[in-house]
Amino acid sequence: MKLTRPTQDQVTTGLEYLLQQISGMKTRWDGPRRLRVDLASESLPALLELLKGRAGYVHLSAISCVDWPDQNEFELVYHLWSYEMNVLIMAHIRIAREPGVYVSVYDLYHPAAFFERDIHEMFGVFFEGSPDMGKFILTEWDGPPPMRKEFDGEAWVMEHFNWQDYQPDWLTDIEAQGGGITTRPEELRHRNKTK
Amino acid sequence: MSELNTIPVVAEETERPSGGSGNLLARVFDELTAFARSRSMFMLHYCTGCGAIELPPAMTSRFDMERLGIQPMVTPRQADILLVTGYVSTKTMKRIILTYEQMNSPKYVIGICSCTVNGGMYWQSYATAKKLNDYLPVDMYIAGCMPRPEAVIHGLRELMANVKSGKANSWKDYYQRYDHYLANQQRAFGENWQTPTDVIAEARHYGLFGPETLGEHTALLEKHQVPLQPLEMRLGLNEEKAR
Repeated sequence: MKLTRPTQDQVTTGLEYLLQQISGMKTRWDGPRRLRVDLASESLPALLELLKGRAGYVHLSAISCVDWPDQNEFELVYHLWSYEMNVLIMAHIRIAREPGVYVSVYDLYHPAAFFERDIHEMFGVFFEGSPDMGKFILTEWDGPPPMRKEFDGEAWVMEHFNWQDYQPDWLTDIEAQGGGITTRPEELRHRNKTK
Repeated sequence: MSELNTIPVVAEETERPSGGSGNLLARVFDELTAFARSRSMFMLHYCTGCGAIELPPAMTSRFDMERLGIQPMVTPRQADILLVTGYVSTKTMKRIILTYEQMNSPKYVIGICSCTVNGGMYWQSYATAKKLNDYLPVDMYIAGCMPRPEAVIHGLRELMANVKSGKANSWKDYYQRYDHYLANQQRAFGENWQTPTDVIAEARHYGLFGPETLGEHTALLEKHQVPLQPLEMRLGLNEEKAR
C-alpha cells in the first residue's frame, strides 16, 4: 500500500474530530497550520495524552508563560508539533496566580522538565511532579521571580548596585550652552510610571 | 586607582625620577624589563558580550595586533591581560574574578565597551554587574558601543605605554585594597563568597600588604572560609559515587 500525506482538509477535519472528545474547549485556526486551543487547566493532561497517542504530537517545542496581573492569573502555553500532521497546536490554559501551582507534564514529554524549571525560576510557578525545581540560570539570584509584572527591575538595580556617575567635562560645556541630555533616565522612569 | 576619574585614559610620558634607586645598572635592568614586558603581552579575552566581535579582526590579518606584540593566550595562568569585552552578568562576574585571581602578576584588566563602565544599555537589568572596577582593578577602559578595532588597538598601545613607564600597576591595588573589592564581591554574591586563591597570603608574599588589605569584609571571609579540598581523581565511571 502506498502511503500518502493527508490533505489539508483531512488534517483539519481529523483534528477537529479528535478534539471534540475534550469538553469545554475553544479552537481557532490562526492559519492553515496553526491551531490555537483554549481549555480549562484540568483538561490539559488529557489533551496532551490524546494528541500524543492519536495524532502523533511527539514534539513539545516550548512551554511559555504569560503573567496577567489584572486577572490575577498566569497563562501557560504549550506548543506542540506533529511530524505527521504538520500542524502547530498551541494549548492555552490559565491558572491562578496564587498559589501558582500546576501539574508537570514530564511523564508525557521529558523536555518539559527544562521548560518547567525555567518558568519556575522566572515566574515562580511550581510544577508538581517535575524532576527538578532547583535554580537553573539565575544561580546567584535570591530576589523575587524577575519576570513577574510586579517586579521592578530598575528599582532593584537602584537598590542593589553601585552607580557610576558620569559627568564628563564636555557635557558640562554643552549644558552651559543650553544643550545636553534631553531626557534623563529618572525622568523617563517617571514618565513610564505615570503612563 | 579604582575610581573612574583616576583610571588613565591617555598615557602620558613622564620623566623618570633620576637616581631613584641609586644603582644605575639596576635602573637600566628595570627599564629593560618594563620595555620587554610591554612588548610581549599575552591577552586572555573573556568574551562576555557584543564587543567580542571586534576582536577577531583586531587579532587577525586585517588589523594584526600581533605586530605590536599582543597575542591571544589560552589559559589565565599564562596571560598578562584580561580583556573583558562587554556586559558582565553577576554569574559571569564570578568566573571573571576566578579567572583574574588565577593570573600571574603583573596582570592588567581592560574593560571594553560601555557596558563594563556603567552597565551601558543593559543598566536596567537585574542580572548585570554595572561597574567592572568595583570588583576588579581596571587598568584601562575602552569606551564605545562597540569600539572599533582601531580603538581597541589604540587602547592596548596606551596600556603598553603605561606598562613601559611603570604606571600600569593597578594589580597592586587589588592586594592593597582587597577589602574594598571583597566588599563589592560579597555584596553581589552573598556572604559565603570565597575563591580558591588566598589573596591575603599572596599580598603578604608579594610584600604588597596595605592598610586596607584587611577589614571587616575579609574578617567575614575568614569566618565563612572553607578549607579547600583536593579534587578527587577517579578513573572510569563509578555510578554510585557519581550519584
